[in-house]
Amino acid sequence: MSDHAGDNGRRLTRREILAASTALAVSGAVGIPSSAGAAKRHPKRGGTLRFGTRDDSVGLDTHRNFIYFVSHPLAGMTGGLLDFDGEMEPVPAVASEWDASQDMKTWTFKLRKGLEFHNGETIDAAAVKWNYERILDPKIGHSFTRSALSDVERITVDDKHTVRIHLKSPSAAFDTNVVYYPVNLLAPGAVDKVDTHPMGCGPFKFKSWKRNDTTELVRFENFWGTDAEGNSLPYLDALIGKPRKEDRVRLTALRTGEVDLIDNIAYADVDNFIKENGANYNTWEVPQVGTAFVAFNLKNGPFSHKDNKDAHMLRTAAAHAIDHEGIHQAVFHGQGQIAKGFYSKSSPWHGESIKSWPQYDPDKARSMLKKANGGDAKLLIIANDSFPYMQQTGELVHAMLQEAGFNVVFEIHPTPVIQDKYNKGAFDIDSSANSYRIDPDGWYGRSILSTAPETKRRHGYVNEKVDQLILAAKVERDKKKRRQMYADVDSLVNHDLPLIYTHFVPLRQAGTKKVHGYHPAFTGPFQYAGGGLRTAWMEG
Amino acid sequence: MLAYIIRRIAHLVPVLFVLTVSVFVFVEMLPGNIVDTLIGTEGNDDPEIRKALEQEYGLDQPVHIRYAKWLGRVVQGDFGISLVTRRPVTLELMTGIPATVYLAAVGIGVSMLIAVPLGTIAAVRRNTPVDYTAQVTSLAGISIPEFWFAILCVLLFSLYLGWLPSSGYVSPFVDLKASLTYLILPAVAIGFRQAAFTTRLTRSSMLDEMNKEYVDTARSLGFRERKVIFKYTLRNAMIPTLTISGLQLANLLGGTVVLETIFAWPGIGRAIYEAILQRDYPLVQAGVLVLGVIVVVTNLLVDLAYRLLNPRVALA
Repeated sequence: MSDHAGDNGRRLTRREILAASTALAVSGAVGIPSSAGAAKRHPKRGGTLRFGTRDDSVGLDTHRNFIYFVSHPLAGMTGGLLDFDGEMEPVPAVASEWDASQDMKTWTFKLRKGLEFHNGETIDAAAVKWNYERILDPKIGHSFTRSALSDVERITVDDKHTVRIHLKSPSAAFDTNVVYYPVNLLAPGAVDKVDTHPMGCGPFKFKSWKRNDTTELVRFENFWGTDAEGNSLPYLDALIGKPRKEDRVRLTALRTGEVDLIDNIAYADVDNFIKENGANYNTWEVPQVGTAFVAFNLKNGPFSHKDNKDAHMLRTAAAHAIDHEGIHQAVFHGQGQIAKGFYSKSSPWHGESIKSWPQYDPDKARSMLKKANGGDAKLLIIANDSFPYMQQTGELVHAMLQEAGFNVVFEIHPTPVIQDKYNKGAFDIDSSANSYRIDPDGWYGRSILSTAPETKRRHGYVNEKVDQLILAAKVERDKKKRRQMYADVDSLVNHDLPLIYTHFVPLRQAGTKKVHGYHPAFTGPFQYAGGGLRTAWMEG
Repeated sequence: MLAYIIRRIAHLVPVLFVLTVSVFVFVEMLPGNIVDTLIGTEGNDDPEIRKALEQEYGLDQPVHIRYAKWLGRVVQGDFGISLVTRRPVTLELMTGIPATVYLAAVGIGVSMLIAVPLGTIAAVRRNTPVDYTAQVTSLAGISIPEFWFAILCVLLFSLYLGWLPSSGYVSPFVDLKASLTYLILPAVAIGFRQAAFTTRLTRSSMLDEMNKEYVDTARSLGFRERKVIFKYTLRNAMIPTLTISGLQLANLLGGTVVLETIFAWPGIGRAIYEAILQRDYPLVQAGVLVLGVIVVVTNLLVDLAYRLLNPRVALA
């Protein structure tokens, strides 16, 4: 049995999740080192877990600010209508049951009775309506959170515990959008203090926040979640977030005992850390927190059909110049997998029959580049400065394209500059990534569908067949059929090349041996039904 | 003296005015604005939403109107609300500035504690092994990048020896002892680097002073060498050292972003840096303004200290 999760990041089965919530026989799955010892280890109530994270929240209003579920401690405070289980299926949370109308334009949620926000206010249908309308207010709701509700036309309250959501167009994916992430519920009665002392309905209550220093959360005693024995969750008394932006600073803080858990080890350090310290620490692999890609600007410039009749040939030449294995080794140090579609094997939405992008063949790239009109154009690659893998992938792609004979420059910019370049079409290739869209419509319907604002703003891809598939998949109830439709979309994307998927973005977390009952899920480390920090407990 | 202080404080007004105008203009020239940040990557390109957000944040008004309104509020002591955190800017500043001032001041203190004795001994024992050691040490301090030295300190004192915490911050008003343990490594990292410059300066100033006639006179009058060095020579030699240390302190107030990141120190440098990236104009403006005031006041205090060191210095 391995000390470091030992399962190479495989998802937990439902049975294992149940077992995890009782924490009786979970040593293999959650990284507890000894199966013999695990039998004696019953979850202990109490203790404080200090979590070293890459990032800190920028503000406390979880509607106005994007709460990043990997690395914002404040995420422990949030709760929503539904939860995800370890297999990314929506399961009851504040709502105990839900249903879609035949035309999938109306979704009805029945709320559990007797639930409270952290300030003691009752969670009822009116509170849900207030929350959703607040998120939908463009002056308040963060674009990411608001976009999860973009299909909503209106919300009606049937009775105190029944809320009905009417959509503008049918959606089979709506229930996956109303999970705590990103559509979380705040106490309406505490909204006047939401920027200084927010009140949510998640497993932990807000206590204090010092920006870039500490976030203190304490257990919410009236949280609705219980383990299999009926004990209320979470087990921890408190959760203290300690942002440590630099990967190695965070790892050092773990090794010096200043934090108990960290949200990511630098890819370059993973092997060494496990080799040298594996006996003293647990590590967990979060199999995919996002998907990296390089996107072409199809709106204008040499990669656009509007400006260049050989645009597709030029994009194909660029695709042949990109060595995915090189990116896998140099950027991700062999962690995770190369991406041929948006979802990795760890996702239930992984498509099996996706036709690949053009294979690495620099000679072919050179020959196509010579033939293509616009092959001598000066190209600009951009990357956001937020995540090192985006920059490093951009740098490598830059070098690979130069090697193939492209005339290309590379620039790294902060988000507002990147946004400005998208709006103006002032780039040719963008090294980027997308994450945390649990339902595939969140990716395909927002970033590939030609009519989606994000598609129009960024790469401007248009393919009628792709659009038909995405729109049909959105209203398809049969999951198998939907998965195939999205696989077909990825095959078309890999042929048309509005973007080239490069790599699934993995995450390797580490914690001291004192941390038990914890296993991160695809949906992030903080919480999901039967796992994450909800079921974590501290020994000693 | 009082008239001089009042005059110097009065000089603050035009300096700060030019500073705020410059910052306002520079931030305005940066590509993208807070609305781009808020719209994010979800591509909500509805012009109505953009317009509503621009109105919400006052960006629909010309820059000079926005500046005038901002200045009007600042004169009344109101720095406004951070566009990102939605908390009062004063609150954001009160979190970051004390932490930075604390670190920078102690860092400069450490620098002086290293530099003054080392520079003095090096000058007094010129061309001896002590002098050579001091010169090599200061050369190393100048050559070694601050962040690298900081990482070495963390590896040695936190990871291997386990004597000090590797990162974090505790306010001295909450727990002074704990606060000092968190302060030592970043303060030493700053102090070592700054001391490298001031040691050389102290040494050369001391050598200059020691060649002056009043030192020979003191010696010929039979004063003990210790009195000649510490009472007469060092006091005069300290003036340039103090000037440079004052400038170093001013520089550190806004320029410890890298060390703040390495030591997870919640200082104002990092806060302003992030505010610039997020185009959080009120926080950038107020942060720069307050740091500007601190820098000018620090320089004033340094000038006043000249007078204490050497009463012959005229404050004009």
